[in-house]
Amino acid sequence: MNLYVCIKQVPDTETKIKLNADSTGIDTAGIKWILSTYDEYGIEEALRLKEKNAGATVTVVSAGPDRVIDGLRTALAMGADNAIHVELPENADSAMAAKALAATLKKEPKVDLVFFGKEALDDGAAQVPQLVAAHMGIPAVTVVCGIEYSGTTLKCKREIEGGSFEMVEVAAPAVIAGSKGLNDPRYATLPNIMKAKKKEVKAVKLADLGVSASDQKLRFKNFQLPPAKQAGKKLEGDAAAQAHALAVALHNEAKVV
Amino acid sequence: MTWQTFAFLIVAGTAFTISGKRFLTLYKLLKAQTGKPPKFGDLGARVLTGLVNVLGQKAVLRDRWIGIAHTAIFWGFIVISFGTVEQFLSTLYAGASFEFIGEGPYAAFIFAQDLFTSFVLFGVLYAAYRRLVIRPAHLGQSRDANNVLLFTGGLMVSIFLMNAFHILAANPSYEGSFFVSRQIALFFTQFQFSDDTSHSLFTFFKWVHMSLVLGFAVYIPGSKHLHIVAAGPNTVLRRLEREKGMSTINFEDESATQFGVANVSQMSWKDTLDLYSCTECGRCQELCPAWNTQKPLSPKNLIVDLKKNLHANKTAILSGKSEEITHVIDEHVTEDVIWACTSCRACEIACPVFIEHTDKIYDVRRNLVMMESRFPSEVQAVFKNMETNGSPWAFSASERANWAQGLGIKTMADAGSAAELDVLLWVGCAGAYDDRNQSVVKSFVNLLNKAQVKFAILGNEETCTGDAARRIGNEYLFQTLAKTNVETLNRYQVKTIVTACPHCFNTLKNEYKDLGGEYEVFHHSQFIARLVSEGRLKPVKEINETVTFHDSCYLGRWNNVYDQPRSVLQAIPKVNLVEMKQHHDRGMCCGAGGGRMWMEEHHGARINVTRTEQAIETNAKLVATACPFCVTMISDGVKTKDMTDQIRVKDIAEILDSAT
Amino acid sequence: MAKVVVFIEQREGKAKKASYELVAASAAAGNETHAVLVGDSVAGLANECASYGATKVHAIQDAALKLYTAESYAKALSTAIKSIGPEVVLAAHTPMGREFLPLVSVMVEGNLATDCTSLAFNGGKLQLRRPVYSGKATAEVEFVGSGMQMATVRPNSIGLPKPDAAKTAEAAVIACDLSGLKTKILEVVKGNSARPDVTEAAIVVSGGRSLKSAENFKIIEDLADTVGAAVGASRAAVDAGYRPHRDQVGQTGKVVSPACYIACGISGAIQHLAGMRTSKVIVAINTDPQAPIFQIADYAIVGDLFQVVPALTTEFKKLKE
Repeated sequence: MNLYVCIKQVPDTETKIKLNADSTGIDTAGIKWILSTYDEYGIEEALRLKEKNAGATVTVVSAGPDRVIDGLRTALAMGADNAIHVELPENADSAMAAKALAATLKKEPKVDLVFFGKEALDDGAAQVPQLVAAHMGIPAVTVVCGIEYSGTTLKCKREIEGGSFEMVEVAAPAVIAGSKGLNDPRYATLPNIMKAKKKEVKAVKLADLGVSASDQKLRFKNFQLPPAKQAGKKLEGDAAAQAHALAVALHNEAKVV
Repeated sequence: MTWQTFAFLIVAGTAFTISGKRFLTLYKLLKAQTGKPPKFGDLGARVLTGLVNVLGQKAVLRDRWIGIAHTAIFWGFIVISFGTVEQFLSTLYAGASFEFIGEGPYAAFIFAQDLFTSFVLFGVLYAAYRRLVIRPAHLGQSRDANNVLLFTGGLMVSIFLMNAFHILAANPSYEGSFFVSRQIALFFTQFQFSDDTSHSLFTFFKWVHMSLVLGFAVYIPGSKHLHIVAAGPNTVLRRLEREKGMSTINFEDESATQFGVANVSQMSWKDTLDLYSCTECGRCQELCPAWNTQKPLSPKNLIVDLKKNLHANKTAILSGKSEEITHVIDEHVTEDVIWACTSCRACEIACPVFIEHTDKIYDVRRNLVMMESRFPSEVQAVFKNMETNGSPWAFSASERANWAQGLGIKTMADAGSAAELDVLLWVGCAGAYDDRNQSVVKSFVNLLNKAQVKFAILGNEETCTGDAARRIGNEYLFQTLAKTNVETLNRYQVKTIVTACPHCFNTLKNEYKDLGGEYEVFHHSQFIARLVSEGRLKPVKEINETVTFHDSCYLGRWNNVYDQPRSVLQAIPKVNLVEMKQHHDRGMCCGAGGGRMWMEEHHGARINVTRTEQAIETNAKLVATACPFCVTMISDGVKTKDMTDQIRVKDIAEILDSAT
Repeated sequence: MAKVVVFIEQREGKAKKASYELVAASAAAGNETHAVLVGDSVAGLANECASYGATKVHAIQDAALKLYTAESYAKALSTAIKSIGPEVVLAAHTPMGREFLPLVSVMVEGNLATDCTSLAFNGGKLQLRRPVYSGKATAEVEFVGSGMQMATVRPNSIGLPKPDAAKTAEAAVIACDLSGLKTKILEVVKGNSARPDVTEAAIVVSGGRSLKSAENFKIIEDLADTVGAAVGASRAAVDAGYRPHRDQVGQTGKVVSPACYIACGISGAIQHLAGMRTSKVIVAINTDPQAPIFQIADYAIVGDLFQVVPALTTEFKKLKE
């Protein structure tokens, strides 16, 4: 069983985002990069599957600048066997990343399942898993919070709105984008951290994959920060007046209700 | 050779062979342990602790009545052993006796025998009364303990009977020295036994006594009574320093493949001697905040269960089949037991034979966390926060110094070097990020300014000391954080540090040494107390209130700081300082130590609420603390008791700030 | 003016308002707006589509499309797109739209921007902004690839005008070959309560110990149900047995980051703040004006939650009508 997990490095969730000089992106200086949280569900699911299937291997793949190697090492420390770094420029979009990842996977001898997180915490696009599946001609199930395996068939519990779920059945090979609830990702043990430091990370160049800048379809520009958080607004009056003011504010001003 | 010589050779030979074998096994088990023992230096201090605590029974005497009983038994046995030796010799060779020392000295010897036999008997009677009638909860019921009392009582009774019939049969010249046995002999005169009968009864009770001694020798190695052999050496070999840091793992050592204790054989021989030394007195359990709030952890049971595990794995350990040794986590030492510990160290301070319980717990945790990734799930977020943000809470490292904005506080980067400063103020994560504890740090800053102390903070360059990671068992993460801090502190040539957090205090003071960070570290209570005593802070405003002080474990038991925070409070006019029922080194933990701040409490009553109840009992309206975690825990306790209107919880810095 | 396809998302014959937001926005910009309905029996929604301004309504109906799967819906929508030939394709960024639109984008070789929160038409060009870094910044989307512009748009980003029942639209049926599907939908399990999980909810209403009893949490639940929120609780409330542990928000409980967090009677000690601090909009209702929760609240109500919370529920109910 050949299991693959595609992962991404994103700024730590506590990072204070600052824009670069020309607002074409963020200032990456001083940022702590972490594995995108949802990707950990993908890694964990692959590792658990491997533990249940003798001879299975888990290969983690990450497309991005050199810093993603740290993310690959984190995944190796969790227990992945192999790692592939696809050298992708910083501002590549989902389409280009997906094309590169799909091309990389297609070069592998056999792919049974490809795990992802349901979305990356940086761009939140939630596109790459499906795009990879489309390029590979295999089905994708996303926002998966539970899987029952029987042979090569997977019964996926997919979360939709209103606390409801879709039970979706697919057969391997398939792409699964994991979400919260799928499992509890493990904390790497020290021996595995040590071993991961010494493992080889295979580097793949875009040119060898037949992917180029022309595969980019979107560019993000003119970044803006939200207006600085204002001091809290105190709502006055009696309970009814306060409640009214709050309801109006949440609906019209904050637009959250 | 009489039949007695012959019989004695067989009986004693058999008994000593069995007993010797059993002791040898214990010794071999001890030798086979693979863990790294602590360092043993300072011979003089070791001799002293031996004199004071073994011969002087000081630690045992902390519990008064049973302490006295124990001392009587302890000294009694030492004295009586000489009589027993004489008895053995006279059995081997009829007529052998210590009488050669002279009539007077021998009479004194006989007197001492009778006197100390009585001491032991009274000791045993009190111990039996306590165990069977008073029944202190922490003592529990134990067949082993009852056996030991029976053995000991039987030994004494048989001595008296033997002596009594000796008097009746032989009318020895030193009869008068048998001041107790003689009374018993007098009692038996009414039966008008013949000399022969008396002599036979004498021989009978002598054999009863000798058999009990020999039986006891066989019994002891498998009993808690093993402490009579192990506790002495354990006391002499104990860790002498109160301010002990946790052992530092050398991760550079490439040959190391096991971190922490996965099975009992990975403990050190000193840990094992600890197990041998435990006599199950339960003093540890009596004070354990986990046990007292119905958690599955009892430090006593932990030691007993580890010993059981050791014995169960005896064959595998001694035959070198390490792969057959079962896991240290078993049906007795469960994960819940290991995680229940708040590392308050009440158990270690209470232990009369200096067993170090926390070391065992830390070692097991280290294995669980670093080797097996087994720990309460809520801790994972704490580790990740520490890794990415340098704080157990998920706050950005770039916001660490936000609390200080507008207060005119210098950062070390502003100051350039520590040379121009009196002290570096170590803020800690709670002080930096927790609204409640920011107010504590601000009060402390006010005090430093009032006393014109020149200080700076590291600002955003500070990162978590790693205390919680270390106590939870993540030594690797601890060292990562610690090395970053040591590098920063050394870069600024920091020599003196003050902090309001006892956990930071303990770590910086006692644990950074091993990683290249040597500093003079003060807790703010020490620092403030000095400023007050030097007259640089003058508490002039009255605080006309009843105040009780809650001891922080990492300040008190771990670092012996009890008086300074109290002296700060007492320096304030009109403060009426009262103590809770548990205070100083018997103080009860707030429940947050040992990484428990970051874990859920699933069993029993809440430790913080139980401690808060003790504070409420004092009728104090103000609970003074000196630790950010204690503030949080006791405040939560007051909230739970719905008493926020009546009781306030404040740090000593806040209290003093309002009085100066 | 452009030719725009809007995918009309429906479940059980009920269309998502978010889809109509897009129809209306496209129509308002004067576009030739093609609504595409996909399902087993969806033609009935044509009038509704027209009422929001659709020029033409296309239906792909097939028993195999009764329940959504990414694979079948992608096939259907891409068939429709190929047959209509639009410059722009829009869909709501919902659990459905966000899953299958990327598949469609590959099939029709389009350029897809997902999760957009503002949408405008500038001639034939789409102008989009979308949040990045969990909403800590936004970015403008520039289409650099050739081919059609596609976007999924977050519900409620644009707003829904009043429908005009008088409007009509041309109706069309598109045939689609749905053979060889590999994905099977087994069932849709309805949430046994409409109340979402506290970690995934867009709105969380939390109560503290000052609610005084488990029964009193009813007012929190009522408020939560009115706005489709999850119910959370402080550790003190959980300890007191008012709520199960799974509802606990805080350092040792659940860490949440909803669009809106309403803290009722929670003072906001650090252990609680650590679990909800990153919520986008924080509302605090507390009697104690000194409570630390007010330091991070966007909207602060100093008052008795037993009065304010039911009043708030009433207000939201009014709002919904």
